[in-house]
Amino acid sequence: MIRTEDLTKGFGSVLAVDKLNMEVQSGEFFSFLGPNGAGKTTTIKLLTGLLIPTAGRAFVNGVDVQLDPVSAKRALGYIPDQPFLYEKLTGREFLRFVGGLYEMDTREVELKAEELMEMFGVLGAADLLIEEYSHGMKQKLSFSAAFLHDPQVVIVDEPWVGLDPKSIRFIKGYLREKVRDGICVFMSTHTLSIAEELSDRVGIINGGHLIAVGTVKEIMALEATRTFEDVFLELTAEGNEG
Amino acid sequence: MRRLLALFRAKWCMGIHEIAGVRKQSKLKVCVVAVFVLALWLGIFFLFYKGFGFMKRFNPGGFGPEMQTIGETVTVRIISLLFLAVFFMLTFSNVLVALTTLYRSSEVEFLMSSPLYLSELFIARFAECVFFSSWAILFLGSPLVLSYGLVYNAPWYFYLVAAGFSLPFVIIPAALGVTITMVLARVFPHLNRPLLIMLAAAAVTGLFLYMRRSFDVESLSSSDQMLGAVLDAMKNTQSAFLPSFWAAQGLLSSSVGELGPTMFHFLLLLANGLLVFRLALYMASKAYYPGWAALRGSGQARSRPRDRGILGRIDCWLGFLQPRTRSLIVKDIRVFWRDVSQWSQFAFFFGLMAVYVANLRAAGYYYLEIAIWKNAVSFLNLGATSLILATLTSRFIFPLISLEGKRFWVIGLAPVRLRELVWQKFWLSFATCITFTLGIMVISNVMLKVEPLLMFLSCGTIVMMNFSLSGLAVGLGALYPNFREDNPAKIVSGLGGTLNFLLSIAYIMVAVGVQALLFQARTLNLIPSDRRFACMVAGVTAFVVLVSMMATFIPMSLGLKNLERTEF
Repeated sequence: MIRTEDLTKGFGSVLAVDKLNMEVQSGEFFSFLGPNGAGKTTTIKLLTGLLIPTAGRAFVNGVDVQLDPVSAKRALGYIPDQPFLYEKLTGREFLRFVGGLYEMDTREVELKAEELMEMFGVLGAADLLIEEYSHGMKQKLSFSAAFLHDPQVVIVDEPWVGLDPKSIRFIKGYLREKVRDGICVFMSTHTLSIAEELSDRVGIINGGHLIAVGTVKEIMALEATRTFEDVFLELTAEGNEG
Repeated sequence: MRRLLALFRAKWCMGIHEIAGVRKQSKLKVCVVAVFVLALWLGIFFLFYKGFGFMKRFNPGGFGPEMQTIGETVTVRIISLLFLAVFFMLTFSNVLVALTTLYRSSEVEFLMSSPLYLSELFIARFAECVFFSSWAILFLGSPLVLSYGLVYNAPWYFYLVAAGFSLPFVIIPAALGVTITMVLARVFPHLNRPLLIMLAAAAVTGLFLYMRRSFDVESLSSSDQMLGAVLDAMKNTQSAFLPSFWAAQGLLSSSVGELGPTMFHFLLLLANGLLVFRLALYMASKAYYPGWAALRGSGQARSRPRDRGILGRIDCWLGFLQPRTRSLIVKDIRVFWRDVSQWSQFAFFFGLMAVYVANLRAAGYYYLEIAIWKNAVSFLNLGATSLILATLTSRFIFPLISLEGKRFWVIGLAPVRLRELVWQKFWLSFATCITFTLGIMVISNVMLKVEPLLMFLSCGTIVMMNFSLSGLAVGLGALYPNFREDNPAKIVSGLGGTLNFLLSIAYIMVAVGVQALLFQARTLNLIPSDRRFACMVAGVTAFVVLVSMMATFIPMSLGLKNLERTEF
């Protein structure tokens, strides 16, 4: 579902991502962890085609993101950390617009939008302008938009900011349910407890290098420490950059 | 195609919501803006109507009724010149608008992550670019077309033809401007800073030389040669290879009912518009995505040593100020300087000012030999410098308070009173703007060889205007802030920004107008004695000072009160 081959991105003399090789299968929840500036967001932007790799390739749903970006993006749902929403559209109009971008049937969009907005708790504000939404509501609307076209791969960048505990619990459950349905979820986060709770596998990136991949148990076995947080801090300590 | 339609439908909805949002704005603000916009349109219409009427009758050679008068010949050339000027303005405007619309907008990132083909994305952004760069030109062009049609009794379809010509006419400069931006975005990230500065300097020098040559009035050394020189100078606007010429000729042909040439020029314009757009689309397929991605990745970490460079030393230079005020000023200057779109517009603006001042030298040779022109040119110069000041304050000072909005937690939690913040913006505006405008005033007055009294009055007026226009911009910026927007250009284009600009213009008209009338009355010997004139000068000066004080303190006070009431 997601595959990278020697994926590399440099900004001037700095290598933000260096020969990244990884694979995430369908029906798998993969958490992508790393300290600030480790290369997580750059990797996500390479996977979504928002950056051009300096070398290497990225595949989404078996399609090279650079060679056939439209096919790759059709299979993709992306929830950025700071989602862009059209402030002068209502929530419902925004979802109709997204449905149009994915060439969905109008009636299907109406039904799906209603269902998703109800599920994510924004149906009550569906006909308000987005500029009147709180940060959390905007986040929920961007979740609704990302799942509107039934994507095969979902990439989520630090999605928990601004969400209340009830919404966090709902979204955790929803993402797990989608994974059970066969979707591949790739989540970048700093919240280790959630990564530990939800992930089938985790990848830890530091200084642009993937320094550990595996289940939480496998990674914990790498270091003789007590908690996953301890292991993460040990692995990403200064000097351990692969 | 469905995806593009979805995008255009969404834009339409946004436009409707934006218009509906006007109802939520202050009624007074909406009314003032509407009245001023209408007055501006009517003013332009009136000027063109009177101008075309005069030119139609202007026939010193005494050609017969069956022949075109000299005035009509000049009118044709003036229209061609206007179209040419609009063409170049649109091209330049599109270069700037494309930088924001195609590259810097966060909407592009969202659209890039959606399954839009690059060509669809480009077409959508191009359409937006055309709209944002051209609507004002079309708005201001409509009184020209209407007045010409009325003066020359054009048939009804002349107006339809004008509307039809406008689309292909704006597409050509838009496609050119967007293509230039795409090339620059592709090339510039790979250039080093000294080379960039050299290129910019070469471009400004080239523009300077071209404009000096094109608008050379030194040759107009006597009134006998004037008409011939004017017609000669406008000859270049008549090149059959210029789209502006096709538009002007097509429009003029339709005004006399010649449908054949009208259709020919329309098709010529349309065919070339489509061709240039197709070339832009081709360029987009090659350069847009790599350029966009390269610009996003071109920000490299650079350490900025504390005491090096101008920005590093400002702190030390402003050491005489209170630490709080100094921090605010240094922050504003650094943020401004590090935003490329801000200072690049400022630099271009400064280049145009240099061209204006350089051309005054030539104006001095001719106009100042005639007494009646002497005052007129001096006050036109004062008006022009004031308009430069109004543009500076409207574009760069008005958004300052709004830009604090999202970061208000920093200043709001610091021991800084709002009064201090607002007055700091005021003094920053005053100090920076007066450096440029007083300098221009002195240099231009010297070039125009104005009398000492006029020099003193015009410099005094400019100082007053720096006070009042800074007060207007900062005060109205605080009265009508837009805390949601990060883009200063968008903040300025809102109702508050428009109101600020219009009130600035109104103030300038009053302040310059009363002084100009007084001096013109003296030149025409309408004031009997010098003593009477001196009294009137004192009276007019007192009036200008009073109006300036009102323009400074009323908006500042209203703005401050509004900020104190605002919840962040």
